[in-house]
Amino acid sequence: MKPMSEKGLRVAGLRCSVAGTEILKGIDLTVEPGSVHALMGPNGSGKSTLAFSLTGHPQYEVTGKVFLDGEDLLALAPDKRARAGLFLSFQYPAAIPGVKVANFLHAARQAVRPGDLAPAKFRALLLEKMDQLGIDPSFMGRYLNDGFSGGEKKRLEMLQMAVLAPKYAVLDETDSGLDVDALKDVGASIGALRAGEEGGETGFLIITHYPRILQYVVPDVVHVMIDGRIVKTGGAGLAHEIEREGYDKIREESAAVA
Amino acid sequence: MPSAALAPSAQGLYERLASFDPALGGLAERSSALDRFFALSSGRERPGRYWRVDFESILPEAAALTTDGALAVTSGGDGRAIVCDLPTAAREHPNLLARALGKTNVPSTKFGALATAFLQVGTFVYVPADRAVDEPIVIAYDAPAGAAICPYTVVLAERGSRATIVERLTAQTGSLVVAAAEIVLGESASIEYAAIQTAGEGARVLSSRSALPGRDAGISLYSAELGGAIAAGDLYVRFEYPGAQARVGAVFFPTGTQHVDVVSTVDHQAADASSETLVKSAAREHGQARFLGNIRIAPHAQGSDARLRDDALLLSPDAHVDSVPALEIGANDVKAYHGATVGALDEEQIFYMQTRGIERDAAERTIALGFFEPAVEHFPTKALRDEIRATIAAKLQ
Repeated sequence: MKPMSEKGLRVAGLRCSVAGTEILKGIDLTVEPGSVHALMGPNGSGKSTLAFSLTGHPQYEVTGKVFLDGEDLLALAPDKRARAGLFLSFQYPAAIPGVKVANFLHAARQAVRPGDLAPAKFRALLLEKMDQLGIDPSFMGRYLNDGFSGGEKKRLEMLQMAVLAPKYAVLDETDSGLDVDALKDVGASIGALRAGEEGGETGFLIITHYPRILQYVVPDVVHVMIDGRIVKTGGAGLAHEIEREGYDKIREESAAVA
Repeated sequence: MPSAALAPSAQGLYERLASFDPALGGLAERSSALDRFFALSSGRERPGRYWRVDFESILPEAAALTTDGALAVTSGGDGRAIVCDLPTAAREHPNLLARALGKTNVPSTKFGALATAFLQVGTFVYVPADRAVDEPIVIAYDAPAGAAICPYTVVLAERGSRATIVERLTAQTGSLVVAAAEIVLGESASIEYAAIQTAGEGARVLSSRSALPGRDAGISLYSAELGGAIAAGDLYVRFEYPGAQARVGAVFFPTGTQHVDVVSTVDHQAADASSETLVKSAAREHGQARFLGNIRIAPHAQGSDARLRDDALLLSPDAHVDSVPALEIGANDVKAYHGATVGALDEEQIFYMQTRGIERDAAERTIALGFFEPAVEHFPTKALRDEIRATIAAKLQ
């Protein structure tokens, strides 16, 4: 393994407990800039727990090491992790009544990249990204996720990601609740960030239980998580194998190894 | 009729009545109003575990009662409405004034009775039939330090008229304000009336504001209780004609050692009227608040549609909000809804904002400010909304 100081989102020996129960039992993985890692696994395997452990959810007790381009993330509060360049697309984003989408996005951009865009330029950027993601401009005046459909929430998560252009993004089941057109838009958005069109080459950890989204974003690496451990890692072909055969075979293999 | 049993300060109040403008009320009327003040309860006579303020005992010092320091400054209206002070209205438009003054329940409420006894400082707004007044009318009352004032606003909106009125109350250190407003609307008239009080330290602000909409009329009655040491306000809408609509809104936010007590009442006495009451409150530090939301639907008020929603946010361990919805529904063909929540800031919301780079303190302030927004956004005029937001934001610092 390369030193933790090198570029990449580097996770080593990550363990996580929630209310005394260990969910993650030692995770090691490294997402390089511009690479796409898919994290697959059945329900309850700990995928979302990994997403919350990386971003610093207050209810998660986490040990191990997580470095983002050499910066020790576990020592930081969630907002500082975001300012270091980490983004999480939530599976269930919180609704915040009374806080308008445009104001929230501006506050977030200001927090992550202070003073880099004049208000007029920010607005232009926002409108451009909304157009690319098929989000009606009227959303700017709506309250954050308040009364949004599942698909609208996911599109708004992608809008936030596009506006914040993070160094590393964790997408937690972003594909669930999206139709094919939306998936294509999400795929294009990820492709643009990955290729460095926003200035840096974003690395992705895409959590999903279905390989569907991977038709639109071809992963470099696929990990399979079962029962809090990554039990198999491979190339894009592994996703197709799971699509054909489900998780049972991998589960049996990993049980045999253990 | 002051009895010998009255304390000297109460006796002094009766003695002061004669010094107020007789054109706005004779001695007998004023004396009878003061009797009512002493006889009535404000409905707040039962201090709870957290409730230590005895509103019944709040009494102006007779010597502090003033009329000349309490200027009513008015602006707006664009010359399309009559806007004048009450003594002028009593002399120049007595018949119009008489159609609204004393026509709501204000004189029969405890605080309204006190304002009636000392009626003089105030404003009369008259909107002629079918007249739309686009420019909001802004009325400002200020109580000088240590003074007691009873500012009284009377609105008569004729058939088909429309206007927006903002009442701004300020009060200097140690003053007492007893404010009243009566709003009488003709058929299909539409009035937005919003009051904001940002009284200073140690000030006490009592109020009674009441609207009587005509057939198919629309009234919006809002209040923002943001200042003072003690504030107690009554908001009241009574439907006596069918087809009318009311929107009642209140925001309040006691911080430090402030106490705020708001009672809203929508009284459906006529068929096919609809009302929506929306209250957002928060308390911080040792701030204490109570909201009592009454909805009454009389047996003959079929087709009524009444909604009541109040949410309270507790921002400190020692802050407290009591929220009491009370529905009395006498008719069977009605829609009535009420919902109430009391709670702390949501950790999931805070975490979500933090994952977008926003610091925890800023996230908490943003969420708390946003919490008020569904009520604040209904207040008329951008200037007023921005003032409310800025005042709340300052109280969150």
